[in-house]
Amino acid sequence: MNKTVTINISGIIFHIEEDAYETLSKYLLTIKSYFSKADGGTEIMSDIESRIAEMLQSKTSAVKQVVLMSDVDFVIESMGKPEEFGGDSSDTNSSENHDEQTDNINGLQNVKKRLYRDGDSKVLGGVCSGIANYFNIDVVWIRIALLILTFFAGLNIIFYVILWIAIPEAKTTAEKLAMKGEKADINNISKAVKEEAEQLKKRIEKYGDEFKNKAYNNRDFPRNAVEKIVDFISDVVMNIGSVLLKIIGVFLIIIGVVFFLGLFSLVFGLSFMLDSINGKDWINLFLLDGKDLYLGVIGIAFFVGTPVIMIIYGGIKILFKVHYTNRMVNLSAGIFWLFGFALLLYVGVRTGNDFNKEAKIRENFSVNSHDTLYIKMTETPIDLLEVDEASDYDDTEKKYSEYNKESDYLIGKNADGRYLLGHAQLDIIKSQSNSSELVIVKESKGGDRKMASERAKNIDYKITTNDSLILCDNLFKVNNADKFRFQSVKVILKLPIGKIVFLDKSLENMLHDIDNTTNTYGSEMINRRWIMTDKGLKCLDCKGLDEESSNTENDSDNSSKNENVKITVNGVDIKAKDSQVKLDSNGVKIKSKTTKLTIDEKGIHIDTENKK
Amino acid sequence: MVNSENAKAQMRKGVLELCILSILSQGEAYPTEIIEKLKTTKLVVVEGTLYPLLTRLKNTGLLSYRWEESTSGPPRKYYFLTEIGQTYLNELQVSWIELVNAVNTTIQNSK
Repeated sequence: MNKTVTINISGIIFHIEEDAYETLSKYLLTIKSYFSKADGGTEIMSDIESRIAEMLQSKTSAVKQVVLMSDVDFVIESMGKPEEFGGDSSDTNSSENHDEQTDNINGLQNVKKRLYRDGDSKVLGGVCSGIANYFNIDVVWIRIALLILTFFAGLNIIFYVILWIAIPEAKTTAEKLAMKGEKADINNISKAVKEEAEQLKKRIEKYGDEFKNKAYNNRDFPRNAVEKIVDFISDVVMNIGSVLLKIIGVFLIIIGVVFFLGLFSLVFGLSFMLDSINGKDWINLFLLDGKDLYLGVIGIAFFVGTPVIMIIYGGIKILFKVHYTNRMVNLSAGIFWLFGFALLLYVGVRTGNDFNKEAKIRENFSVNSHDTLYIKMTETPIDLLEVDEASDYDDTEKKYSEYNKESDYLIGKNADGRYLLGHAQLDIIKSQSNSSELVIVKESKGGDRKMASERAKNIDYKITTNDSLILCDNLFKVNNADKFRFQSVKVILKLPIGKIVFLDKSLENMLHDIDNTTNTYGSEMINRRWIMTDKGLKCLDCKGLDEESSNTENDSDNSSKNENVKITVNGVDIKAKDSQVKLDSNGVKIKSKTTKLTIDEKGIHIDTENKK
Repeated sequence: MVNSENAKAQMRKGVLELCILSILSQGEAYPTEIIEKLKTTKLVVVEGTLYPLLTRLKNTGLLSYRWEESTSGPPRKYYFLTEIGQTYLNELQVSWIELVNAVNTTIQNSK
């Protein structure tokens, strides 16, 4: 049997054994004295008492009405001894804590807002609602803006996915709160930059002052000053760094977007290559088959697109200070890039291989052995409108031969589809035999010799001879299936010594550096008769035009020396092995192995030959 | 050997305030409920730690409370976050996460 005491804790009545009572009241007294000096000590006390009452209540029941020593022990154990409460509420700390508290509350004004995805109000990934939270605007506007972006090459999809990956979702309360931070507006970013810049300025001033003082007062401690300077510099660097980072972030995003749009239009052929050339046709002519085109496009998309997207991704991360790195993103970006690279490599090698070997095919025609042969050019019958390149020129009156160089290729259209057109060239050489001969040399490249010669054979080029008249087509045609493989056609007239050839005016663009004794170039050789001598072609009716050239001809003939400079009353003539500069009453003439420039009464004429 | 218990207790005490505020941000609660929640995470060793803290938070204006009669015991003091408390918590949580990240990085780097 034990004596019990009746006590009142927090308005609840307990019957408690005497020894238990002793312990409990002693315990409560200790706590009371512990909190007596603290702010709100009585309140703490009453809170603790009501908790004790609750605990004791749970220990008693209708059957067990008395609080025992073991119950009190339990209460003390779970409540803990005052020394275990920690220094939190001792008055020595309380005032200090209070100060910190106020500081913190004031500091709230500068709560840094973070960009998070809002998982709570999401449609897809919560990107829009996250952005809306960040800028404190209604999510509807963001979504509308995103929809509008659809019209810019589907930029929104890419943007959304990048943002989805780059921005972490607000999962914890803290993140959700940081996401919705109270103080934010659309100027947040510029403000932050401004603030940082201002901070920087202040610091510079501060350091400046300090440094002055230090230098003044502590002459004994130059080391201190040095440390300050180092501190200052690192501080400045850090601050400039964070301002710069934001700017860099914005730049990266802009650059990324620009590149993306460029890539997009490239891939989808909106503005492909030069506008005068039908890019797709050229590519089709270049690549082996349609599959390669798709592979190549996919390859470009991955090879260029991955870095572009990573630039945008990085820009967003920098701008919004997203610190977490997603290894999967970097890894898969690397894989995508390599994938694109591999595709391009495959297409490149495959296409390049098709240019591997070269083949020439010769077709011989015998020509009537008249003393004089007439060569004329006929325009290959193509409707001008069918030539794509011509569409760029308004003046359809012009012959396209006037604005197309011999080295240019064209794309023609007919009922069967597209085909390639190239300019044929004419050359005249000395025949080894006594009869005139006409040779057409067709040239092409291919994966192997057979392929190349097959392609060369397929080149469609016509020459008609009618008595002493030779008619050359100006263009040759290449089947679409034969691709563009640097096909070329050269008409070679082998002329025996003593025979004469008349070059018609129409040949102007077909003549290409035909060797002759006077080094006259193609466009001046027309409309004249030429005779084959054992030294080469010689002009028959060039009198008055090239008096001096016949002089120089001699020079060039005995030219074991390679240069010749002549300055006479008639003009200047400088001659080297492969080039010539000439100034006379006719005008200016500059000639190199591949390029000719003339200024005469006709105007300025520049002629180049692209050696392949 | 160095006693790590003390260090652990110090750590727990440091974050207790944050935890209490976080718990209350999910809705009002009276001390016993708070303790139950804290106990499951082993943050509170002795309950006595809580009361002075609650009072201090209330006095600073981060928390407020209302009384509610209990059918089975003394009236309960239901604590809830004030507006200031909410903002304060936001800030605290942010810096806490930064701290944790920083500490984790430091620990991992020094491993």
